[in-house]
Amino acid sequence: MRLAVIGAGPGGYVAALKAAQMGAEVTVIENIEVGGTCLNRGCIPTKALLASAETFAKTKELKNFGIELQGSVIPNLQKMVERKNKVVGIQIKGIRGLFKSWGVNLVEGKGVLLNPNKIEVEKKDGTKDVVEADKIIIATGSRPAQIPTFPFDGKNILSSDDALNITEIPKSLIIVGAGVIGCEFACIFRELGTEVTMVEMLPRAVSTEDTEISELLAKEFKKKKIKLLTGVGVEKVTSAEDGIHATLSDGKELVAEKILVSIGRALNSEGIGLETVGVKKGARGEILVDEKMQTNIEGIYAVGDVTGGMLLAHVASKEGIVAAQNACGKETKIDYSTVPAAIFTSPEIASVGLREFQAEEKGIKVKTGHFQFRALGKAHAMGEISGFIKIVAESDTDRIVGAHIIGPHASDLIHEAALAIKAGLKVKDLADTIHAHPTLSEGLMEAAEDVHGEAIHVPKK
Amino acid sequence: MNPEDLKYHKEHTWVKVSGKKATIGITDYAQEALGDIVYIDLPEVDTIAEANTEISEIESTKATSPVISPVSGTIVEVNEELSDSPEIINEDPYGKGWIAVVELSDESELDELMDASDYEKYIEEEAK
Repeated sequence: MRLAVIGAGPGGYVAALKAAQMGAEVTVIENIEVGGTCLNRGCIPTKALLASAETFAKTKELKNFGIELQGSVIPNLQKMVERKNKVVGIQIKGIRGLFKSWGVNLVEGKGVLLNPNKIEVEKKDGTKDVVEADKIIIATGSRPAQIPTFPFDGKNILSSDDALNITEIPKSLIIVGAGVIGCEFACIFRELGTEVTMVEMLPRAVSTEDTEISELLAKEFKKKKIKLLTGVGVEKVTSAEDGIHATLSDGKELVAEKILVSIGRALNSEGIGLETVGVKKGARGEILVDEKMQTNIEGIYAVGDVTGGMLLAHVASKEGIVAAQNACGKETKIDYSTVPAAIFTSPEIASVGLREFQAEEKGIKVKTGHFQFRALGKAHAMGEISGFIKIVAESDTDRIVGAHIIGPHASDLIHEAALAIKAGLKVKDLADTIHAHPTLSEGLMEAAEDVHGEAIHVPKK
Repeated sequence: MNPEDLKYHKEHTWVKVSGKKATIGITDYAQEALGDIVYIDLPEVDTIAEANTEISEIESTKATSPVISPVSGTIVEVNEELSDSPEIINEDPYGKGWIAVVELSDESELDELMDASDYEKYIEEEAK
């Protein structure tokens, strides 16, 4: 079986490797660089920059850790970007190496569907090629959404792509949109000393998270002196000599050196021949797929951002595996019941399962348990005491249905709860499991105990 | 010891009156109970403080606790020094650790507060 995959992001490259492992003859078509948005313009580069910013932030606390500093510590964004590029480069080599080892053929260029078995590739050198395949997986991803209000210029009006490559720390920065991307950049630049003002149309930052998480994040932003304006939009942006002027919907005006626009993502579902072969799309341009990740055309699958779902790398990868298995004749269905998600702010945020407000919307009666990181010896030893863990459990069954964490290493801690939810475990199962001391994971055990008011390290209420 | 010239609220805040103005802070008992204070979310000048409601939030290494205003009025001054050095509250709760100054809107509220000796008895009870 010959399989062609268009797009080598976390959806496409994982699908390609899975299919190759299952014996398919695989060709991947990629027009920018393997790894896609995640590796080149998203997850990995932001985490590399964040690591630099956090390392610098730690130096401001040296005194608290009993370390004296003679001289000064200076952040150099150009060097940080160079390090980031090195980190990305290592991962690119890794994916290319995996392709080689599994015999996946990589064609670099832009793929356009000619018919359900033929893809024309316009290669980077201008020549054209045709890839023939029995089955096709479309994994073309997404890009920063742009609207005429914000004409990206790559210098002062920035998309998230641009923000990864500026080499001088801006004195001041307006961030439009306090979603995941906006909040992560706010933390990175604030740690480096930039004056950051965020403007969010919705009533709260990271509005898809549990309400209590947004509340604590807002407090932490206040501590860091990140200004967060909510319930207000940006109506006009103009460039002047003294910087970028942003006119807000409440009539106020903000001025800053640069503006970063993170208002969402646009899907890459145009200009790839979907209309030619009759692949159906939804209202937002998302490719419509069934539980097997197959489009309305037999043998053509679509995975990842371009299908308009959760826009998470790890979801794209899972969808890629499901599509590859189905394409290779092993029937599999996608299961979205347990999808952990992480936001790399400082402190970190991670969640899985139901938010408390979602349970209410669905009419599910729930109980919650809370635990503050500041009640853990390990958190104090690390010097990171802000944040909490919240467990949401179904009242009738005592089953864990959600977990929400804001605090140190939240993104690593969340998976114990994810496994508990996936396995249908009860609060007691988590509370009764001995957790190593001293660790941050003890917080999950205590939060579970707190669902029934039985946490040991919580004062009497 | 709690200063004699202050009035005390049962939520462990104090007030020092000077004409129409009143300075607010937390008591020594409160700072002791909270432990090392790491952050205070200061109120904003020109906002309204209402007696018996939260005007600020204090975060210590142990807990996060609201600061309950003992009186009502307009906040005319806040102790900005606390935003960078909240530990001053631990060091000097009745002096340099003051939190805000309020222009009183209802002086009769002062009569409902405790004097130093009543507050002393009150915290003894609470400690039991």
